[in-house]
Amino acid sequence: PCPRQVRSYYVDWRMLRDVKRRKMAYEYADERLRINAIRKNSILPKELQEVADKEIAALPRDSCPVRIRNRCVLTSRPRGVKRRWRLSRIVFRHFADHAQMSGVQRAMW
Amino acid sequence: KDKSASSEDSTPEGAAKRQEDGPETPKQQLLDIIGGMKVEVSYRKKLQRLKASESKKQAMNKLEGLDSEGSVPQGITEDTQRGKPLNPELVKAASLVASSLPRNKKQTESELLAQLRRHEETTDTQKKGGTINIRNVISEMTIKRQSPAQRAARISGHISLQLEEDGQRRRRERSSAQSMDSKRSLKVGKRLNIFTKASAEPEHALKTVSSPTIWDLEFAKEVAAVTAQPPRNGFEEMIQWTKEGILWEFPIDNEVGMEDDAEFYEHIFLEKHLEGFPKEGPIRHFMELVICGLSKNPYLSVKQKVEHIEWFQKYFEEKKELLQEI
Repeated sequence: PCPRQVRSYYVDWRMLRDVKRRKMAYEYADERLRINAIRKNSILPKELQEVADKEIAALPRDSCPVRIRNRCVLTSRPRGVKRRWRLSRIVFRHFADHAQMSGVQRAMW
Repeated sequence: KDKSASSEDSTPEGAAKRQEDGPETPKQQLLDIIGGMKVEVSYRKKLQRLKASESKKQAMNKLEGLDSEGSVPQGITEDTQRGKPLNPELVKAASLVASSLPRNKKQTESELLAQLRRHEETTDTQKKGGTINIRNVISEMTIKRQSPAQRAARISGHISLQLEEDGQRRRRERSSAQSMDSKRSLKVGKRLNIFTKASAEPEHALKTVSSPTIWDLEFAKEVAAVTAQPPRNGFEEMIQWTKEGILWEFPIDNEVGMEDDAEFYEHIFLEKHLEGFPKEGPIRHFMELVICGLSKNPYLSVKQKVEHIEWFQKYFEEKKELLQEI
């Protein structure tokens, strides 16, 4: 509803690009699914499948889900990210030690 | 008589005391008084005088000889007394009173006569020693409407009474009686719909259709910011979070936001969407597999499934030339 450009601050540009890729992947998800259904098929003729190959390659690059990287939500760290919390290991440790992670405790056995 | 009436203005039981006085041709005196009375005298005093006269006449009638009636079952006496005409002197008195009043004469007269009849009945039954039959008294009075909530409470109370045993029955009677007797009853008032799903209650507030200007939005925001006090306790905090959507609504509804109006057969039997495809060949085989997969998918809505099938239809139509070469 806002007419002007939305300026929000992501941690860094790489995070912004990752966000864009996720949005595109969401938009093209259905089409990719359908074209892949035609490609990974043993019933339809091969010519049709080759045409489908070309079509899917013609889609924008950022629309494929493979290019998404699960970065840390707070620091944009690409490695060492736990999927359940979407946080990098350093941030996770920081919060857990300050007792700000619900149900997380230092292991001792 | 005037003095006695004025002294005992507040108590209508003054009539009982006057019964002891001997009948001193009250009819003529009363008629003279009423005829000469001014309008300024209150309505109540007149009623009491009428009651006094009526009670004296009843005493006289009883002395003359109503002993033959004896104690007859109440229902019959009440009904016959209704039909029994009032004393003609009373009727005359009532008409004179009504004429002296400035308001509706006929209405006041009929009301006075009705009141007299009622008092006659009550005094008769009291003298005979029987309990007052409230039925007749109430039937003349206007009906006070019960709220449906109270009516439902009473009906449910009755049903529960029938089903349970004696010991529990009395307990339930008392508890239901308490809930009804106390001024604040449990089942009255607007429901909060905390534990039941809020059914589509028609909103009572009028919805004014107007394009909200930016100034209106700003004003609304200001008002909300000023009136929104910080939550005083944990409950209010939880209420605020529920409104915002941070906290789920309890009891947890697994289908929040998922309103699938389609029945199960619309999800499973998708063959009717396959009409645009050729009936034989690899395409049909492929589409039947697609439909089999879609019917087993519980996460998609019927619309999405139909969109999938339609996309395939378009795709294969575009590639028709290609397919015919093969």
